[in-house]
Amino acid sequence: MGLMDRLRDAFGRPPAKEVAKKRLQLILKYDRAGLPPNAVEAVKEAILKALEEFPFIDTSGVNIHITESENTKGKIEIEVPVRNN
Amino acid sequence: MADKVVCITSGKGGVGKSTVTANVATALAMKGYKVVAIDADIGLRNLDLVLGLENRIVYDIVHVVEGVVPPEKALVKDKRTKNLYLLPAAQTKDKSAVKPEDLVKIVEELRDKFDFIFIDSPAGIEEGFKTAVTPADTIIVVANPEMASIRDADRVVGLCEAMQKPEPKLVINRLDPKKVARGDMLDVEDVLQVLSLDLLGVVPEDKNMVSYINRGEPAVLFEDSVAGKELRNIAERLLGKEIPIPKWTYSEGFLEKLKRLFGSE
Ligand SMILES: Nc1ncnc2c1ncn2[C@@H]1O[C@H](COP(=O)(O)OP(=O)(O)OP(=O)(O)O)[C@@H](O)[C@H]1O
Ligand SMILES: [Mg+2]
Repeated sequence: MGLMDRLRDAFGRPPAKEVAKKRLQLILKYDRAGLPPNAVEAVKEAILKALEEFPFIDTSGVNIHITESENTKGKIEIEVPVRNN
Repeated sequence: MADKVVCITSGKGGVGKSTVTANVATALAMKGYKVVAIDADIGLRNLDLVLGLENRIVYDIVHVVEGVVPPEKALVKDKRTKNLYLLPAAQTKDKSAVKPEDLVKIVEELRDKFDFIFIDSPAGIEEGFKTAVTPADTIIVVANPEMASIRDADRVVGLCEAMQKPEPKLVINRLDPKKVARGDMLDVEDVLQVLSLDLLGVVPEDKNMVSYINRGEPAVLFEDSVAGKELRNIAERLLGKEIPIPKWTYSEGFLEKLKRLFGSE
């Protein structure tokens, strides 16, 4: 590594091991659930489209993530907030 | 002993399965236990090299499966360590030459005659891996503190669970304390947060490892080998001794940091 690269690593960016850990935690979530890495994005897009027709749903607040599950490989959890007014 | 039959596996290749097998088996034999190490990497025989036994092989595991000789007859006696034996893999056959039930049968025949039976698994997660894991009471997953190795280790853990095997114990191999100190390499805590397995040991990167293997002399034979010391500790922990595992984290001092940043290394 050149001096500029080393300086940037030392002062600008998070350490490589932190990046590796975050990436691994995400990768293993998908691996364990047997899902391709873009699965959640794809599901989210389809759900958002389907929810568009309901005015009482706040689509900007839709939250979707993978969790572990007792009796299936994994579970995709979706939170759909209802608008306040 | 409930955990007499120990399989060493990893998913990813080249992470140190054969090194760990040869060394832990040697360390236990040095303590007086009767130990056999089975090379289950059919077609890619390697364990004989780590032990320096390659030119003493007459029969191999496929001869045993084919009924040419009984298992005892195929065992190669180690040249330095009393009580240590190798059951070599075949070099020419392919992985399907030994089926899970074949290895189970061989292990059953050897069980009463040994205190420990180690099985050095091939890399991968296909039939060779399944054969190696099937007879085991204890599974050790070897991983390097590195992305692909950890991901593969997690796959192996999932497969062991699906095979209704006990949860594997983890050996982290080739941890480089200098790279950890710089924040370049995952440290022990990071790996455990990602994999959450019981940790059996951490073997540091050892620059002398190449020469040990080139000479066919396991690292545990050398008092001053950094890897050898931790490999001996792994053997002790298998015997149930509680030996603390060093964390291998030292913080780089300010001067060291400057030197690394501006130095020419
Ligand atoms: N702690 C260590 N320090 C330095 N080098 C090591 C260490 N452990 C293993 N190695 C080196 O890594 C290489 C691969 O080791 P080994 O053959 O044990 O891996 P393996 O998992 O059995 O490989 P394969 O999947 O091909 O069977 C060897 O050259 C060995 O010298
Ligand atoms: Mg090997």
